Amino acid sequence: MSFVQALFMGLLQGATELFPVSSLGHAVLLPSLLHWSFKQSDPSFVPFLVLLHLGTATALLILYRAQWVAIVRGFFTAAFRGSITSDSERLAMLLMTGTLPAAVLGVFLENRIKSLFASPYEAAVFLVVNGFLMLGAELLRRRAERRAKLQDRPREEQEERFTDAAHISFVAAALVGACQALAFLPGISRSGVTIGGGLLAGLRHEEAARFSFLLATPVILAAGLLEVPNLFSSSVPLPEYAASAVLAGIAAYASARFLLRYFRSGRLDPYGWYCIAAGLLSLALLTFNL
Amino acid sequence: MRSTPVSILFVVVAILCFVIAALYAFGVLQIFVTDPHAAHHYTHTILFVVLAVASLIAANFTRPKTV
Repeated sequence: MSFVQALFMGLLQGATELFPVSSLGHAVLLPSLLHWSFKQSDPSFVPFLVLLHLGTATALLILYRAQWVAIVRGFFTAAFRGSITSDSERLAMLLMTGTLPAAVLGVFLENRIKSLFASPYEAAVFLVVNGFLMLGAELLRRRAERRAKLQDRPREEQEERFTDAAHISFVAAALVGACQALAFLPGISRSGVTIGGGLLAGLRHEEAARFSFLLATPVILAAGLLEVPNLFSSSVPLPEYAASAVLAGIAAYASARFLLRYFRSGRLDPYGWYCIAAGLLSLALLTFNL
Repeated sequence: MRSTPVSILFVVVAILCFVIAALYAFGVLQIFVTDPHAAHHYTHTILFVVLAVASLIAANFTRPKTV
Protein backbone atom coordinates (compact mmCIF):
# COMPACT_ATOMS: atom_id res chain seq x y z
CA MET A 1 0.00 0.00 0.00
CA SER A 2 1.45 3.36 -1.02
CA PHE A 3 1.47 6.37 1.32
CA VAL A 4 -1.31 8.11 -0.65
CA GLN A 5 -3.43 4.96 -0.60
CA ALA A 6 -2.88 4.67 3.17
CA LEU A 7 -3.97 8.28 3.66
CA PHE A 8 -7.03 7.72 1.48
CA MET A 9 -7.98 4.60 3.43
CA GLY A 10 -7.53 6.51 6.70
CA LEU A 11 -9.80 9.30 5.52
CA LEU A 12 -12.34 6.79 4.22
CA GLN A 13 -12.36 4.72 7.39
CA GLY A 14 -12.63 7.73 9.69
CA ALA A 15 -15.47 9.26 7.71
CA THR A 16 -17.46 6.09 7.10
CA GLU A 17 -17.03 4.55 10.58
CA LEU A 18 -19.58 6.95 12.06
CA PHE A 19 -21.72 7.68 9.00
CA PRO A 20 -24.33 4.93 8.73
CA VAL A 21 -22.88 3.63 5.47
CA SER A 22 -20.49 0.83 6.65
CA SER A 23 -16.77 1.55 6.88
CA LEU A 24 -15.93 -2.13 6.42
CA GLY A 25 -18.10 -2.34 3.31
CA HIS A 26 -16.38 0.69 1.79
CA ALA A 27 -12.94 -0.61 2.82
CA VAL A 28 -13.67 -3.88 1.01
CA LEU A 29 -15.39 -2.33 -2.02
CA LEU A 30 -13.38 0.77 -2.93
CA PRO A 31 -9.88 -0.79 -3.27
CA SER A 32 -11.44 -3.48 -5.44
CA LEU A 33 -13.32 -0.95 -7.60
CA LEU A 34 -10.19 1.22 -7.93
CA HIS A 35 -8.18 -1.90 -8.90
CA TRP A 36 -5.68 -1.30 -6.08
CA SER A 37 -3.33 -4.21 -5.77
CA PHE A 38 -2.87 -4.39 -1.99
CA LYS A 39 -4.49 -7.35 -0.29
CA GLN A 40 -6.49 -6.97 2.91
CA SER A 41 -5.35 -10.46 3.92
CA ASP A 42 -1.78 -9.10 4.06
CA PRO A 43 -0.30 -9.39 7.62
CA SER A 44 0.50 -5.65 7.66
CA PHE A 45 -3.14 -4.70 6.98
CA VAL A 46 -4.35 -5.70 10.48
CA PRO A 47 -1.98 -3.24 12.25
CA PHE A 48 -3.12 -0.60 9.78
CA LEU A 49 -6.77 -1.15 10.71
CA VAL A 50 -5.79 -1.20 14.40
CA LEU A 51 -4.28 2.28 14.16
CA LEU A 52 -7.24 3.61 12.19
CA HIS A 53 -9.61 2.30 14.85
CA LEU A 54 -7.51 3.84 17.61
CA GLY A 55 -7.63 7.15 15.71
CA THR A 56 -11.43 6.96 15.45
CA ALA A 57 -11.85 5.95 19.10
CA THR A 58 -9.58 8.81 20.21
CA ALA A 59 -11.70 11.26 18.21
CA LEU A 60 -14.86 9.98 19.92
CA LEU A 61 -13.22 10.17 23.35
CA ILE A 62 -12.20 13.80 22.67
CA LEU A 63 -15.67 14.69 21.35
CA TYR A 64 -17.42 13.24 24.40
CA ARG A 65 -14.63 13.83 26.95
CA ALA A 66 -16.87 15.53 29.53
CA GLN A 67 -19.57 12.91 29.13
CA TRP A 68 -17.09 10.06 29.42
CA VAL A 69 -15.75 11.48 32.68
CA ALA A 70 -19.33 11.60 34.02
CA ILE A 71 -20.09 8.12 32.63
CA VAL A 72 -16.97 6.50 34.15
CA ARG A 73 -17.60 8.23 37.49
CA GLY A 74 -21.27 7.23 37.32
CA PHE A 75 -20.34 3.65 36.49
CA PHE A 76 -18.13 3.16 39.54
CA THR A 77 -20.49 5.03 41.86
CA ALA A 78 -23.53 3.00 40.77
CA ALA A 79 -21.61 -0.29 40.67
CA PHE A 80 -20.37 0.05 44.27
CA ARG A 81 -23.62 1.50 45.60
CA GLY A 82 -25.80 -1.06 43.81
CA SER A 83 -28.39 1.47 42.71
CA ILE A 84 -28.87 4.23 40.15
CA THR A 85 -29.62 7.78 41.22
CA SER A 86 -28.65 9.98 38.25
CA ASP A 87 -28.87 10.07 34.45
CA SER A 88 -25.12 9.64 34.01
CA GLU A 89 -25.16 6.55 36.25
CA ARG A 90 -28.07 5.11 34.27
CA LEU A 91 -26.34 5.90 30.96
CA ALA A 92 -23.16 4.20 32.22
CA MET A 93 -25.08 1.04 33.08
CA LEU A 94 -27.00 1.16 29.78
CA LEU A 95 -23.69 1.40 27.90
CA MET A 96 -22.31 -1.56 29.85
CA THR A 97 -25.48 -3.54 29.09
CA GLY A 98 -25.20 -2.65 25.41
CA THR A 99 -21.49 -3.33 25.16
CA LEU A 100 -21.48 -6.83 26.71
CA PRO A 101 -23.52 -8.59 23.97
CA ALA A 102 -21.41 -6.88 21.31
CA ALA A 103 -18.21 -7.98 23.08
CA VAL A 104 -19.35 -11.60 23.45
CA LEU A 105 -20.52 -11.83 19.84
CA GLY A 106 -17.39 -10.02 18.66
CA VAL A 107 -14.95 -12.36 20.40
CA PHE A 108 -16.74 -15.54 19.32
CA LEU A 109 -18.09 -14.67 15.89
CA GLU A 110 -16.29 -11.69 14.32
CA ASN A 111 -13.38 -13.50 12.63
CA ARG A 112 -15.59 -16.37 11.42
CA ILE A 113 -18.20 -14.06 9.91
CA LYS A 114 -15.65 -11.70 8.35
CA SER A 115 -13.78 -14.58 6.73
CA LEU A 116 -17.03 -15.99 5.36
CA PHE A 117 -18.22 -12.75 3.77
CA ALA A 118 -15.06 -10.91 2.74
CA SER A 119 -15.61 -10.55 -1.01
CA PRO A 120 -16.56 -7.24 -2.67
CA TYR A 121 -19.73 -8.84 -4.13
CA GLU A 122 -21.01 -9.75 -0.69
CA ALA A 123 -20.07 -6.30 0.63
CA ALA A 124 -22.11 -4.71 -2.17
CA VAL A 125 -25.13 -6.94 -1.46
CA PHE A 126 -24.96 -6.21 2.27
CA LEU A 127 -24.64 -2.48 1.52
CA VAL A 128 -28.01 -2.70 -0.25
CA VAL A 129 -29.40 -4.65 2.73
CA ASN A 130 -28.03 -1.94 5.05
CA GLY A 131 -29.92 0.67 3.03
CA PHE A 132 -33.17 -1.23 3.37
CA LEU A 133 -32.60 -1.71 7.11
CA MET A 134 -32.29 2.06 7.59
CA LEU A 135 -35.31 2.82 5.41
CA GLY A 136 -37.23 0.19 7.39
CA ALA A 137 -36.24 1.79 10.69
CA GLU A 138 -37.43 5.18 9.43
CA LEU A 139 -40.67 3.63 8.14
CA LEU A 140 -41.40 2.24 11.59
CA ARG A 141 -40.46 5.58 13.15
CA ARG A 142 -42.88 7.44 10.87
CA ARG A 143 -45.56 4.95 11.88
CA ALA A 144 -44.85 5.73 15.55
CA GLU A 145 -45.08 9.46 14.76
CA ARG A 146 -48.45 8.91 13.04
CA ARG A 147 -49.71 6.95 16.05
CA ALA A 148 -48.72 9.89 18.26
CA LYS A 149 -50.44 12.24 15.74
CA LEU A 150 -47.18 14.09 15.09
CA GLN A 151 -47.03 13.76 11.30
CA ASP A 152 -48.11 17.36 10.61
CA ARG A 153 -45.88 18.94 13.26
CA PRO A 154 -42.49 20.53 12.53
CA ARG A 155 -39.55 18.08 12.72
CA GLU A 156 -38.10 19.63 15.89
CA GLU A 157 -41.45 19.24 17.62
CA GLN A 158 -41.76 15.64 16.42
CA GLU A 159 -38.33 14.86 17.84
CA GLU A 160 -39.10 16.42 21.22
CA ARG A 161 -41.78 13.80 21.84
CA PHE A 162 -39.20 11.04 21.90
CA THR A 163 -36.78 10.24 24.68
CA ASP A 164 -33.05 10.64 25.37
CA ALA A 165 -30.34 8.01 25.67
CA ALA A 166 -30.39 7.74 29.47
CA HIS A 167 -34.06 6.75 29.52
CA ILE A 168 -34.37 3.70 27.30
CA SER A 169 -34.91 0.31 28.91
CA PHE A 170 -32.02 -2.05 29.70
CA VAL A 171 -33.51 -4.68 27.38
CA ALA A 172 -33.55 -2.12 24.56
CA ALA A 173 -29.92 -1.18 25.32
CA ALA A 174 -28.88 -4.85 25.19
CA LEU A 175 -30.73 -5.36 21.88
CA VAL A 176 -29.22 -2.20 20.34
CA GLY A 177 -25.79 -3.36 21.53
CA ALA A 178 -26.32 -6.84 20.09
CA CYS A 179 -27.27 -5.22 16.76
CA GLN A 180 -23.62 -4.19 16.48
CA ALA A 181 -22.82 -7.83 15.68
CA LEU A 182 -24.59 -7.36 12.34
CA ALA A 183 -21.78 -4.96 11.42
CA PHE A 184 -19.34 -7.91 11.23
CA LEU A 185 -20.92 -8.38 7.83
CA PRO A 186 -19.08 -6.03 5.46
CA GLY A 187 -21.68 -3.60 4.13
CA ILE A 188 -23.78 -3.50 7.29
CA SER A 189 -23.07 -0.31 9.22
CA ARG A 190 -22.50 -0.44 12.97
CA SER A 191 -23.77 3.10 13.45
CA GLY A 192 -26.62 2.47 10.99
CA VAL A 193 -28.00 -0.52 12.88
CA THR A 194 -27.47 1.04 16.30
CA ILE A 195 -29.06 4.36 15.29
CA GLY A 196 -31.91 2.40 13.69
CA GLY A 197 -32.23 0.28 16.83
CA GLY A 198 -32.17 3.41 18.98
CA LEU A 199 -35.01 4.89 16.92
CA LEU A 200 -37.06 1.72 17.41
CA ALA A 201 -36.34 1.99 21.15
CA GLY A 202 -37.95 5.43 21.10
CA LEU A 203 -34.88 7.67 21.05
CA ARG A 204 -34.74 11.02 19.29
CA HIS A 205 -32.55 10.90 16.17
CA GLU A 206 -29.80 13.00 17.75
CA GLU A 207 -29.90 10.89 20.92
CA ALA A 208 -29.85 7.67 18.89
CA ALA A 209 -26.70 8.94 17.16
CA ARG A 210 -25.15 9.97 20.50
CA PHE A 211 -25.98 6.57 22.04
CA SER A 212 -24.55 4.86 18.96
CA PHE A 213 -21.27 6.82 19.17
CA LEU A 214 -20.95 6.26 22.92
CA LEU A 215 -21.68 2.56 22.44
CA ALA A 216 -19.12 2.31 19.64
CA THR A 217 -16.27 3.89 21.62
CA PRO A 218 -15.43 1.03 24.03
CA VAL A 219 -15.89 -1.59 21.30
CA ILE A 220 -13.66 0.22 18.78
CA LEU A 221 -11.11 1.08 21.47
CA ALA A 222 -10.97 -2.47 22.85
CA ALA A 223 -10.72 -3.99 19.35
CA GLY A 224 -7.84 -1.61 18.63
CA LEU A 225 -6.00 -2.07 21.93
CA LEU A 226 -6.19 -5.88 21.76
CA GLU A 227 -4.34 -5.82 18.45
CA VAL A 228 -1.65 -3.33 19.56
CA PRO A 229 1.05 -6.08 19.82
CA ASN A 230 0.68 -6.55 16.03
CA LEU A 231 2.03 -3.01 15.56
CA PHE A 232 5.50 -4.00 16.70
CA SER A 233 6.19 -6.22 13.74
CA SER A 234 9.22 -5.08 11.71
CA SER A 235 7.28 -5.04 8.42
CA VAL A 236 4.88 -2.32 9.59
CA PRO A 237 5.59 1.20 8.21
CA LEU A 238 4.52 2.83 11.47
CA PRO A 239 4.95 6.56 10.56
CA GLU A 240 2.80 6.20 7.41
CA TYR A 241 0.14 4.26 9.27
CA ALA A 242 0.20 6.75 12.15
CA ALA A 243 -0.38 9.64 9.71
CA SER A 244 -3.38 7.74 8.31
CA ALA A 245 -4.68 7.17 11.83
CA VAL A 246 -4.49 10.90 12.59
CA LEU A 247 -6.40 11.60 9.38
CA ALA A 248 -8.96 8.94 10.35
CA GLY A 249 -9.36 10.61 13.75
CA ILE A 250 -9.87 14.06 12.22
CA ALA A 251 -12.38 12.67 9.71
CA ALA A 252 -14.23 10.79 12.48
CA TYR A 253 -14.38 13.92 14.68
CA ALA A 254 -15.74 16.03 11.82
CA SER A 255 -18.22 13.28 10.85
CA ALA A 256 -19.53 12.96 14.39
CA ARG A 257 -19.98 16.74 14.72
CA PHE A 258 -21.77 16.88 11.39
CA LEU A 259 -24.03 13.91 12.14
CA LEU A 260 -25.05 15.17 15.58
CA ARG A 261 -26.09 18.47 14.01
CA TYR A 262 -27.77 16.73 11.06
CA PHE A 263 -29.83 14.42 13.26
CA ARG A 264 -31.41 17.31 15.16
CA SER A 265 -33.99 17.30 12.38
CA GLY A 266 -32.61 14.91 9.74
CA ARG A 267 -33.48 11.29 9.16
CA LEU A 268 -31.68 8.12 8.07
CA ASP A 269 -33.39 8.01 4.66
CA PRO A 270 -30.66 9.77 2.59
CA TYR A 271 -28.05 7.32 3.91
CA GLY A 272 -30.41 4.42 3.23
CA TRP A 273 -30.89 5.50 -0.39
CA TYR A 274 -27.15 6.15 -0.73
CA CYS A 275 -26.35 2.61 0.47
CA ILE A 276 -28.84 1.06 -1.94
CA ALA A 277 -27.51 3.13 -4.87
CA ALA A 278 -23.83 2.57 -3.95
CA GLY A 279 -24.42 -1.16 -3.45
CA LEU A 280 -26.23 -1.59 -6.78
CA LEU A 281 -23.65 0.53 -8.63
CA SER A 282 -20.81 -1.49 -7.08
CA LEU A 283 -22.51 -4.74 -8.05
CA ALA A 284 -22.83 -3.50 -11.64
CA LEU A 285 -19.19 -2.34 -11.77
CA LEU A 286 -17.93 -5.59 -10.28
CA THR A 287 -20.10 -7.74 -12.52
CA PHE A 288 -19.00 -5.98 -15.73
CA ASN A 289 -15.42 -5.61 -14.38
CA LEU A 290 -15.30 -1.87 -15.14
CA MET B 1 -35.81 -6.81 41.05
CA ARG B 2 -34.10 -7.21 44.44
CA SER B 3 -33.89 -10.80 45.61
CA THR B 4 -31.28 -12.82 47.48
CA PRO B 5 -31.55 -15.94 45.22
CA VAL B 6 -31.08 -13.82 42.06
CA SER B 7 -28.12 -12.09 43.67
CA ILE B 8 -26.55 -15.45 44.60
CA LEU B 9 -27.16 -16.68 41.05
CA PHE B 10 -25.19 -13.73 39.67
CA VAL B 11 -22.33 -14.47 42.11
CA VAL B 12 -22.27 -18.10 40.90
CA VAL B 13 -22.21 -16.87 37.28
CA ALA B 14 -19.33 -14.54 38.19
CA ILE B 15 -17.33 -17.39 39.73
CA LEU B 16 -17.97 -19.55 36.64
CA CYS B 17 -16.80 -16.71 34.40
CA PHE B 18 -13.60 -16.30 36.44
CA VAL B 19 -12.94 -20.06 36.15
CA ILE B 20 -13.54 -20.00 32.38
CA ALA B 21 -11.27 -16.94 32.10
CA ALA B 22 -8.50 -18.83 33.91
CA LEU B 23 -8.98 -21.89 31.68
CA TYR B 24 -8.65 -19.74 28.55
CA ALA B 25 -5.62 -17.95 30.01
CA PHE B 26 -3.79 -21.23 30.59
CA GLY B 27 -4.85 -22.64 27.23
CA VAL B 28 -6.87 -25.46 28.78
CA LEU B 29 -10.08 -24.39 27.07
CA GLN B 30 -9.90 -24.31 23.25
CA ILE B 31 -13.57 -23.80 22.39
CA PHE B 32 -14.47 -21.02 19.88
CA VAL B 33 -10.89 -19.86 19.45
CA THR B 34 -9.32 -18.61 16.20
CA ASP B 35 -6.02 -20.43 16.70
CA PRO B 36 -6.43 -23.74 18.59
CA HIS B 37 -2.65 -24.16 18.80
CA ALA B 38 -2.07 -20.92 20.79
CA ALA B 39 -0.92 -21.42 24.38
CA HIS B 40 -3.02 -18.55 25.75
CA HIS B 41 -6.24 -16.90 24.64
CA TYR B 42 -6.01 -13.47 26.20
CA THR B 43 -8.98 -11.96 24.31
CA HIS B 44 -11.26 -14.67 25.67
CA THR B 45 -9.71 -14.30 29.12
CA ILE B 46 -10.36 -10.54 29.17
CA LEU B 47 -13.92 -11.10 27.93
CA PHE B 48 -14.75 -13.56 30.71
CA VAL B 49 -13.13 -11.38 33.38
CA VAL B 50 -15.32 -8.50 32.14
CA LEU B 51 -18.38 -10.76 32.22
CA ALA B 52 -17.48 -11.85 35.76
CA VAL B 53 -17.18 -8.24 36.92
CA ALA B 54 -20.49 -7.40 35.21
CA SER B 55 -22.12 -10.34 37.02
CA LEU B 56 -20.78 -9.08 40.36
CA ILE B 57 -22.21 -5.63 39.60
CA ALA B 58 -25.55 -7.25 38.73
CA ALA B 59 -25.36 -9.22 42.01
CA ASN B 60 -24.83 -5.96 43.91
CA PHE B 61 -27.82 -4.39 42.13
CA THR B 62 -30.13 -7.31 42.89
CA ARG B 63 -28.99 -7.73 46.51
CA PRO B 64 -31.72 -6.63 48.96
CA LYS B 65 -30.56 -3.48 50.75
CA THR B 66 -30.71 -3.49 54.55
CA VAL B 67 -31.02 0.29 54.91
